[in-house]
Amino acid sequence: MTPTTLRIALAQIAPRLGQLEANLDRHLELLEAARAQGAGLVVFPELGLTGYLLQDLAAEVALRLDDPRLGRLVAATGDLSAVVSFVEESADHRIFIAAALVEDGRIVHVHRKCYLPTYGLFDERRFFAAGDAIRAVPSGLGVGVGLAICEDFWHLAVPALLALDGAQLLINVSSSPGRDLAASHEVGLGTAASWRTLMRTYAQLTTSFVVYCNRVGVDESISFWGGSEVIAPSGTPVFSAPFYDEGLYGVEIDLADVRRERIALPLLRDERPELVVRELERIIAERAGLAVDATGEVGPEGVDLHAGLGPFGGVRAAARVEGRGR
Amino acid sequence: MSEGVAPVRAEEPLFELPEELAIDTDIARRVIAEFIRGQLRQAGFERAVLGLSGGIDSSLVAYLTAEAIGPERLLCVLMPYRTSSPASRADAEEVVRRLGCRSTLVDITPMVDGYFGRPAEGDRPAVIGALGPAGLEASPLRRGNYAARTRMAVLYDHSVTFGGLVVGTGNKTETLIGYTTIFGDNACAFNPIGDLYKSQVRQLAAAVGVPEQIIRKAPSADLWPGQTDEGEAGFSYPVIDRLLYWMIDRRRSRDELVAMGFERSMVERVERMVAASEFKRQVPPIAKLGPRTAGVDYLYPRRRPGSARM
Repeated sequence: MTPTTLRIALAQIAPRLGQLEANLDRHLELLEAARAQGAGLVVFPELGLTGYLLQDLAAEVALRLDDPRLGRLVAATGDLSAVVSFVEESADHRIFIAAALVEDGRIVHVHRKCYLPTYGLFDERRFFAAGDAIRAVPSGLGVGVGLAICEDFWHLAVPALLALDGAQLLINVSSSPGRDLAASHEVGLGTAASWRTLMRTYAQLTTSFVVYCNRVGVDESISFWGGSEVIAPSGTPVFSAPFYDEGLYGVEIDLADVRRERIALPLLRDERPELVVRELERIIAERAGLAVDATGEVGPEGVDLHAGLGPFGGVRAAARVEGRGR
Repeated sequence: MSEGVAPVRAEEPLFELPEELAIDTDIARRVIAEFIRGQLRQAGFERAVLGLSGGIDSSLVAYLTAEAIGPERLLCVLMPYRTSSPASRADAEEVVRRLGCRSTLVDITPMVDGYFGRPAEGDRPAVIGALGPAGLEASPLRRGNYAARTRMAVLYDHSVTFGGLVVGTGNKTETLIGYTTIFGDNACAFNPIGDLYKSQVRQLAAAVGVPEQIIRKAPSADLWPGQTDEGEAGFSYPVIDRLLYWMIDRRRSRDELVAMGFERSMVERVERMVAASEFKRQVPPIAKLGPRTAGVDYLYPRRRPGSARM
């Protein structure tokens, strides 16, 4: 064992819908099992303490960060680093899907899910508030950690921001419902094929470890497919848990792989955040109608309004800006 | 292919499976087994009841349920009517024999005839039912619907006596085109195969070892002698399954479907069937009057803490 070796325990569990106490007991049990395995980090899935398809139950199982039930779990982590996920109620009574990094018996970071899918089989925005922060944090593991929750990873900016902010370990906790069983998919499950593509891509492009913990079990109509994974900074999978099997899966990684990969492939060094911000500011202004869009689609006002405008012919744009002052 | 299924002759495949509908049957079995166990556990039940006709849908669900919870916890109820095909009953009995599950027979003839009556046959005079003489003139559709709802009533009674939840056996094709009796054959506590087209039901049935003659025979609601689904509807399952898959699952427009080679008249007809049967797939609306209304702004999981049977 070199000092850079980290043993990760992936708790691929089947939370009981709405049964906070039962799920809490299961977490405590698996924390002990992970400790016995010699794990340094144990990761639980999205909403592992409550189950996923809560609907109006969400407010009933929401926890304030000082809730004694959460406190029991936090205290029990001891010398382990752990990622746990639950419904968080803020002081102003907004309800979030949250994941916390817990170390040394205290919560060192809370990530609130920023992207709430509300399409197809998802209805999260109806029941939850969206988080407003994406932060990497230092950890007792000796590397920066970035937390994300499920859909957060279907938005490119999230893994990119976490890596730029200093994460070398990107941890995504999920309650991903398996669907599309077409035999033509690489792994017989469309959802799994898509996720695997994303995680390998993010690991390679951010030259970071990607840790993915997805739940199993059934809430109502939907079944969660598991398939938790750890991907090396080269984009190569280190470990893939089986689909649908509940279990505590141990994976050993060498954190020094991050340095090796980043020296050989200095993608992060070459990132241009100032360029990205400049272009984003332009795009935001154009989408808001505050600048003429030279490259995108015609706005809802149609083509005619543009007629006769010069290249910066900000008649429309200027009118908008003036209009704001009224 | 599982043991017990005879080798398939090359010139006569067991079933036709459009390529885009092929599913990973191992994953499907796994998901469905977890689904069945999860539904029962959340409701506080350990047993299941289903109506077994001897057709492919109910036979497949019997196999999947037995696989999920063990055959001793499954009760198959055979509910023939006097005009039902004897071959169907023999097929149902073969499924019960192979699975080793529990079964019971309830002849629904007196129930259905007690309502509509029974026309004279040979020397036997007509018997007048609860509807009076007019009942003898009831259309096959009315009789079929009544039989389906009678079976529903029998199943839910056995749900109590056996202590099991009623498992649905309707497939995605018939659900989408509305080829079901509302509150009849579509009544259930949960449905493991309602998101599988008929072609996929056949694929999964072959994978789990449903007897070959059940997979091979022409699907029929058996509401009257000689009735077949495909004869009545005027299309073959592989064709309508493909059409529904591209229309519903892959969101293709009418023109796109026609460009893919589907007949415009068929596309339009199937669109009408799907639209006309929307009501059969949804919980009936409640007039919104109070602050919180079930299904509108009172939204809970069907099963949640406190809802399991004690």
